Amino acid sequence: MKILIVDDFSTMRRIIKNLLRDLGFTNTVEADDGTTALPILQAGSIDFLVTDWNMPGMTGIELLRAVRADDKLKTIPVLMVTAEAKRDQIISAAQAGVNGYVVKPFTAVALKEKIEKIFERIDAAK
Amino acid sequence: MSKVLETGLVDYENIVKDGTVELLKNIEDSDFNSAIQKIQELSEARHKLFYNEVGHLTRSLHDAIRDFQVSSVDLVNDEGKAEVNKITDASDRLNYVIETTSAAANKTMDMVDSSVPVASELQNQARGLRKDWSRLIQRDLSPQEFRDLYKRIDIFLGYTDESATTLHSNLNTILLEQGYQDLTGQVIARVNDLIRDVEVKLVHLVAVAGRVDSISGIDHKESEKEPDDGDTRGHGPAIDKQNNPEVLGSQDEVDDLLSSLGF
Repeated sequence: MKILIVDDFSTMRRIIKNLLRDLGFTNTVEADDGTTALPILQAGSIDFLVTDWNMPGMTGIELLRAVRADDKLKTIPVLMVTAEAKRDQIISAAQAGVNGYVVKPFTAVALKEKIEKIFERIDAAK
Repeated sequence: MSKVLETGLVDYENIVKDGTVELLKNIEDSDFNSAIQKIQELSEARHKLFYNEVGHLTRSLHDAIRDFQVSSVDLVNDEGKAEVNKITDASDRLNYVIETTSAAANKTMDMVDSSVPVASELQNQARGLRKDWSRLIQRDLSPQEFRDLYKRIDIFLGYTDESATTLHSNLNTILLEQGYQDLTGQVIARVNDLIRDVEVKLVHLVAVAGRVDSISGIDHKESEKEPDDGDTRGHGPAIDKQNNPEVLGSQDEVDDLLSSLGF
């Protein structure tokens, strides 16, 4: 299980990386916005995407739409971890096909719960 | 409004009134050369008032920014020379906030990273000893095993002492790192003051422009707002969640909304 963490702040990437490690996911890669994340995704081998919304260059919602529009990438589960909490934004993320939405500041428990829920659904769909 | 400006506006009003009367008279007399000259004079009077006020404002904005810089200069160093601090403007100051908060966050996480294995090792050793210790209580240990446990307890106590010292020092480092809040708070408060200062002056300029236009009888149509693409670009953290019905205040509300959408 290889996870790509996309956030423009290195400290936030590090927090997420450490929490994921505690959950047993030790294989992670990082990118600082959608523009740098896309080539990593397209190179293959990423199984799970955790992304922020508000980033310079390509934003998280644009990255999500790009992933869903790409035949090779569209099945990758996407978890948004973001400070964006407007009703309309959450609805548009849902419409764009997000698998989970965690608002910052978040707790380790919330992150764990959302990730587990996403995997449960994937396993149930198999 | 300043006294100079008040007189300026009154003068301008008089020029407009007198000028219009003369202009009408020129047109009635079919003296178009004079009429055109009059129009030009009126227009110049308007510009002059603006230029004066803009000049005034530019000076006071410049003063505000310069005061801001002067106050952030380290006054005197050992040689008695003024030493200019690296932080000379608002943008540098805000960068300082980003750097300081980032350094503090990283230092804190370094300390956490170096503490976690220490705690895990303590836990492992304690669990191992506890198993044998309960066998000892039940008198279930061979003499050789007892001698072994005896030694291990001694090693464990030594390790516990060392670990506690390490954890203590890491926790202290984490505590001290939180000092960034004080430093960055001060910087942000000062930048905030500068922004408020500049804003007040800009509002003043807008008010002057409004007065001049109303004397001149110019009516500006409300400029149409550009469509807001903030929902795609992102707004950043919501500052006033309670008073904004569009912003969800907690993860629970987000979950409720998503489940109402069939998630």
